[in-house]
Amino acid sequence: MGSVYRLTLRQLTGRWRLLVMTVLAAMPVVIALIMLASDDAPSVREFETAILGAMLAGSIAPLVVLAIAAAAFANEIEDRTLANITLAPIPRWRIAVPKLLATITIAGPFIALSALLTSHVAFLGDTAATVAVTVSALVGVALYAAAFVWLGLVSPQAIGLGLLYIVLWEGFFSGFVSGVRLLSIRHYAIAWMHGLDARRFAAGDHVSFGVAIVLSVLVFAGFLGLAVRRLRRMDVP
Amino acid sequence: MIAPPAPVIRVDGVSRWFGSVVAVSEVSFDIMPGITGLLGPNGAGKTTLLRMMTGLAATSRGTVSVFGQPVRDNPPLYRRLGVMSEHETVYGFLKGREFVRMMGRLRGVENLEAAVDRAIGLVDMADAQDRAMDTYSRGMRQRMRLAATLVHDPEILILDEPLNGADPRQRVHFKRLLQQLAAEGRTIVLSSHILEEVEQVADTVLLIVNGKLAASGGFRAIRAALNQRPYHVRVLCDAPRRLAAEVVRLASVDAVHVDPDGAVVVLSRNVLDLQIELPRLAQSSSIRLRRVEPLDDSLESVFGYLVEQ
Repeated sequence: MGSVYRLTLRQLTGRWRLLVMTVLAAMPVVIALIMLASDDAPSVREFETAILGAMLAGSIAPLVVLAIAAAAFANEIEDRTLANITLAPIPRWRIAVPKLLATITIAGPFIALSALLTSHVAFLGDTAATVAVTVSALVGVALYAAAFVWLGLVSPQAIGLGLLYIVLWEGFFSGFVSGVRLLSIRHYAIAWMHGLDARRFAAGDHVSFGVAIVLSVLVFAGFLGLAVRRLRRMDVP
Repeated sequence: MIAPPAPVIRVDGVSRWFGSVVAVSEVSFDIMPGITGLLGPNGAGKTTLLRMMTGLAATSRGTVSVFGQPVRDNPPLYRRLGVMSEHETVYGFLKGREFVRMMGRLRGVENLEAAVDRAIGLVDMADAQDRAMDTYSRGMRQRMRLAATLVHDPEILILDEPLNGADPRQRVHFKRLLQQLAAEGRTIVLSSHILEEVEQVADTVLLIVNGKLAASGGFRAIRAALNQRPYHVRVLCDAPRRLAAEVVRLASVDAVHVDPDGAVVVLSRNVLDLQIELPRLAQSSSIRLRRVEPLDDSLESVFGYLVEQ
C-alpha cells in the first residue's frame, strides 16, 4: 500500500493545485476576521450558519477535496498509467485505500488549519468549540474524499459532476429540503460539530449526532466499497 | 500416450465490441512458450486483444485463460505476468530507478535492489537510472518501461509495440534480449504492425486483420504466402506502349496494361526479379524510365491479400 500512497502523494501535490487550495482554505479565516472587525458582529448562530455551515462545510471543504480527489485516479486513467498499478498482484482494496488516504493526507491539513484558525478567531480561543469545528471539518474531508475518489474513477467529467453536486445538492437542496439532510455530507459535518460541543452550538433542525456517526461510517465505507468494485470491473485503459 | 503440453495462454472464442463497433471477433488460439508475434495493421484489434489477454479489459464473449486460470480479476496471477502497454506515458517526476523499484515493490519482489539492478542492466540503462524520467528520450523511456516489466522476472511477457521509438542499435539489443528471455523458457507475446520486426524474433505469428485471426502458424508459411502475392508496379517512361510490349515477355511479369495517363502498370509475382530485369530491358530497348513505384506495398494491402486467401 505504501508504494501507491507515496506515488499518489507525489502525483497530487502540483504547485498550482496547492496554490488554489491555499487560497480557498484562507477564505473562511479572512472573512471571519472581516466579520468580527465590523461594527455589527454576527451572533454565534449567524456565524455558524454562514461561515461554518455554508462556507466551510458546504463550499470550501468539498471544493478543496474535489480538486484533489477527482485527480486521484482520473490523472492515471487519462494518461493511461493506471495499468502499472492495477496489474500488480494485490487486492483492489490495497489500491483504493491508499489513494483515498493520500487524498485525505493532502486535503486534510488545509481544511483542518482553515477550520482551526477560523473557529479560534471567532470563538476567542474557546478550545472545545475549536476542536469541535476542526474535527467536524476533518470528518467532512474524509467523507467528501471517499465520494469524489469514487467519482473520479467512474467518470471522466468528475470535476464538473462534483461541482454540480456541491452547488445543487449540498448548497441548494439540503438547505431547505429537510429529508435531503440525511443524505448530505455537509449536514453530517454540522451534526458532528453540534455533537462535539453542544454547549456552544445550539441544537437546531440538524441530523442528530448518533445518526450522523452511523451515516458517516456508512457513506465512507460505501463509497470506498464502490471504488473497489469499480476497480475490479472496469476496463483499464 | 503423452498428452500434448497445456497452452500457457488460451484465447477461446473471444469477441469484444464497443457499442456497434466490433473490435475483435470470434478469435481463438493457444500460445505456447517461445516468442509469438501478434501482427496486424494499425486498428486491427491487436491492442484490444492484448488487453483482454492481460485482464485489463473484459471480453464481450469468450474466455481468456492463463496457466489454466481466468485472467480477468485475478490479481494473484499477475505476479506471473509482465505487461508493457503501447502507451508511452511515464511518471515523469520519478527517476528511472525509482520507477522500476516501485514496480518491483508493487509486485512483491524479494531482494528488491538486486532485482532492480538486474532489470536495469538488462536494458542497458544503468547510466541514466538516476535521472528523472521526463528528461528521457522516447527510446530511453521505452527501455526503462521494459526494465519495470522485467523486474519481477515474470514467466509471461506481453509487449505491445515495444520497439516504438527505439533506434537501430536499441532494436538489435532488444531482439537479442527477447531471444535470451525466450531461451530461458518464458512465453513472450510481441505485437507489432511492422512485418520485419516480428519476423526477426518470433517463432510463431498470429495475424490479426479487422478484428479476426487471419492466419497463424510459423513465419515461413506466412512469408511464403506473402511472396506469392501479386504486386502492382507503376512505371513512368518516355515510350509506354513499347515498354509494355517488351515487358510482358519477362518471366517475372504476369500482366501489363497502359493507363490513360500513359503509365505502365505491371502485375508481377516476382518483384525481386522484376527489379533486376526492368532496368536492363529499358536500357537495351533505349527506353528512358522516369519513375518506378509499387502501388500496393503498404502493410494493409499485404494483410488484405492474406485475408482473401
